[in-house]
Amino acid sequence: MAARARDWIARAPFCAAILFVVCFVVAPMLLLLWQTIDSQDGLTLVAWRELFADPQDRARVWASAQLGLASLCVSIGLGFTHAWVTVGRDLPLGRVLGPLGIAPLVVPPIFVAMGFADLFPVAGFWPCAILLGTAHAPFVCVLVARGLRSLDGRGYEAALMLRGRGRAELWLVRAILPELIAGCMLAFLFTVADHGVPEFLTVKGKTWHTYSEGVFSRWTRRAVGTTFADRQSPIVAAAPLVMALLTMLWLALKLRGRADERGVRAELPLRPLGGWRWPSLLFPALYLGAGVLVPVFVLARWALGSAQKAEPMSLAFLRQSFQKAVDQGVPDLMHSIWLALGTAACVLLIGLPLARRAGRGGRLVEALCAVPIASPAILLGIGLVLTYNSGPLAELFGYGFYDGWGFALAGYVARFLPFCVLTLAAQVRRVPLAAEEAARMLPRSALARALTIHLPPLLPAAWSASALVFVLSLRELDLAVVLPAANSTAVRRLANAVHFQHEDWSGVIALLLLSIAVLLPLLPSLIAGRKLASLS
Amino acid sequence: MNYAVEAEGLQCDKGSFRLGPCSFAVGPRARVAIVGPSGSGKSTLLRCLAGLDRANKGVIRVHGQVVRDDHGAMSPDRRGLGFVFQDGALWPHMTASQHLRFAAPGLSQEQSCAMLSRGGIGHVADRRPAEMSGGEAQRLGLMRALAAEPRVLLLDEPLRSVDVHQRDALVLLVRELADERGIATILVTHDRDEALALADEILVMHGGRIVEHGPATTLLQSPGTAFAAAFLGGAACLPVDASRDGFVATAFGETNARGEAKMLRLVLMPGDLIAVPPSGDGPRARAIASVPHEDGYRIRAALLGQIVLAQAATCIRPGEEVELRLRRPLRVLPWTTANAQ
Repeated sequence: MAARARDWIARAPFCAAILFVVCFVVAPMLLLLWQTIDSQDGLTLVAWRELFADPQDRARVWASAQLGLASLCVSIGLGFTHAWVTVGRDLPLGRVLGPLGIAPLVVPPIFVAMGFADLFPVAGFWPCAILLGTAHAPFVCVLVARGLRSLDGRGYEAALMLRGRGRAELWLVRAILPELIAGCMLAFLFTVADHGVPEFLTVKGKTWHTYSEGVFSRWTRRAVGTTFADRQSPIVAAAPLVMALLTMLWLALKLRGRADERGVRAELPLRPLGGWRWPSLLFPALYLGAGVLVPVFVLARWALGSAQKAEPMSLAFLRQSFQKAVDQGVPDLMHSIWLALGTAACVLLIGLPLARRAGRGGRLVEALCAVPIASPAILLGIGLVLTYNSGPLAELFGYGFYDGWGFALAGYVARFLPFCVLTLAAQVRRVPLAAEEAARMLPRSALARALTIHLPPLLPAAWSASALVFVLSLRELDLAVVLPAANSTAVRRLANAVHFQHEDWSGVIALLLLSIAVLLPLLPSLIAGRKLASLS
Repeated sequence: MNYAVEAEGLQCDKGSFRLGPCSFAVGPRARVAIVGPSGSGKSTLLRCLAGLDRANKGVIRVHGQVVRDDHGAMSPDRRGLGFVFQDGALWPHMTASQHLRFAAPGLSQEQSCAMLSRGGIGHVADRRPAEMSGGEAQRLGLMRALAAEPRVLLLDEPLRSVDVHQRDALVLLVRELADERGIATILVTHDRDEALALADEILVMHGGRIVEHGPATTLLQSPGTAFAAAFLGGAACLPVDASRDGFVATAFGETNARGEAKMLRLVLMPGDLIAVPPSGDGPRARAIASVPHEDGYRIRAALLGQIVLAQAATCIRPGEEVELRLRRPLRVLPWTTANAQ
């Protein structure tokens, strides 16, 4: 009896985590699915057929696919080249520039769009593709860098001895192909699912629309009272997109998983760039310039008063902007910070037991936790709203829950749980099973084993995962649009503020937001001297 | 008799592999080695005993206490068994003394240092596994298992990652420590020499089943199966053909034997054969190596696709043809059998 009780206590964290996933991932998605096939408004599977017959929807699907592919080319051009010239190369400042490959991830795509929109006329398809490609290039960059670092250097040396440098470099590209493809798929996935940037560019004169924009516009029309008796629901509209994204995610995870199995044997030797040593600096300059420097530069200009045509930029204006930011934006900024910190902490608490199970053969758990990546954030948000605004779960949690920060926190945790679970599960797989079995053989409690044996090897990965989630939560726009409490976060307020000529204090708030987003991931490097490369 | 470990009808399915059913018993202070080729199920058997792999059927008793039967299984930490893993399976973030104090929380720093010193690794008390040699890591794995005062010690190929020079010392240490504590040891290995050095009793496995079980000397001198003779004694096992009723034809002539011919093998132990220059009707083989041995030469020769060992009075060059003669009567044994069940 006591043994059974101990077993249950040991399983309690996993059960609690699964319960969370069921309530905030599975239930909303199932409800969305259910509404597509059984709605009181008469929505049936017929709507799906009609959807495919609608030329407007077909045009949007096509626009999304084109946008995804075009921005993917940009992501590869920027992300791949950055990783290629900085990892294992003799590039000047390569040791600093390499780890900075993850830096553009800190900058929300909407900031990149705002930055470029301020400097150039960004109307039309290609500017949008370039902006999204730039914003999502870190996925390609980080995974390619990881692939290069985990390769067995002896394989490269063998190719070098047999076929010369050119062929050896080709061998290298082939060897990191799984990571490259996984990175490309993630970049494509995020681009196609992004609704914030295309929607932002609509205001600046865009004449075409993507699929996720269509989904959101249907949702907003529905929210303001338009019935969907003869209209397809946003959920039905999103179904093909989610199917395509799920397939891509499955492929990306499979490829990434295969890359995980490759053991580190010998480090890749330093590959000289030769005559390209200095010119190659252009690639990191372009990557970091477009992804970080341009947005930060524009935000700084706004803070200095560039948007006010009447008077020149000045430090006095900066002081005014700062004062306005303190008065009007700091509460939202604090909301963002607390929400991001809470999300990072909760994601760890919930993600650890799930990742342990996923890392030890629980592929179903891993797949379940990964669903929110495949679903556009806007859709997950809609699902959460539908689930907790009314119905049995709303009654269970209480109607006040829907408007509160707890609901926003749960939504953010559900959205970013995959990043934590996937990162930690990969780390769990790297810890030899025998080391955990050795602990199981000893007469110690499950808690003692968890704290002393299981947890310490996961701490570096846990820190990286929570830092990533913190950054992603700070920059999240799509969920912030849909979840009531998250409406008063900094990114949401900023996206609105620039439409109403509040660039001055918006610039200050955005810069503060970026500083905070950079600070947390850098803490271990500043305090414990941890290598910057470990972040990526 | 009160056994240290008893297994009855133990069965475990792992994918397409099936272990058992296996039944055996290990005496209270016995030293048993489970031997067999890779994939024979010896590690699975050990892990089932430990509770690390779940058996589907069967009963396991440790010192008379049922730790697994059809009603349920005791968790590994409550079975009173110590387990020494192949590569030590140490915890990379903990020092040697922390390893022992995790295994036995009541242990003081001094006691853990004394215990490490007993294992010959007192000097690594404050080191982490990355700063230890393979031998030191394996000694630490052994001391960690013993720190919890197990009633039986299970060892899964403990010498695999230890270099040749440190093996003998580790073998002696395992024997001494097991004797000091009066506990039984069950060793899993695919190395014949390791088994003979650490165990007095041998359990031979093949294809997930126990094919022979008995004292090491008995199995070495008169193995019951050709597989055990090959594995433990290094015998060459040649195929035989069916002959007249109750007889089989071998390369060295006919002999009587029971059983189907395709299940039987002619067993040629090292020292059973003499190599002479071809002159008579004996089977011919081609020498592939010749080394001085005792008062002559030991020849390795290829016969019917296998390498056999033979004694020769004179040096025979590789490539030369020799005639092989038997020094002992023909011995035909079944390849494997499950009669030890």
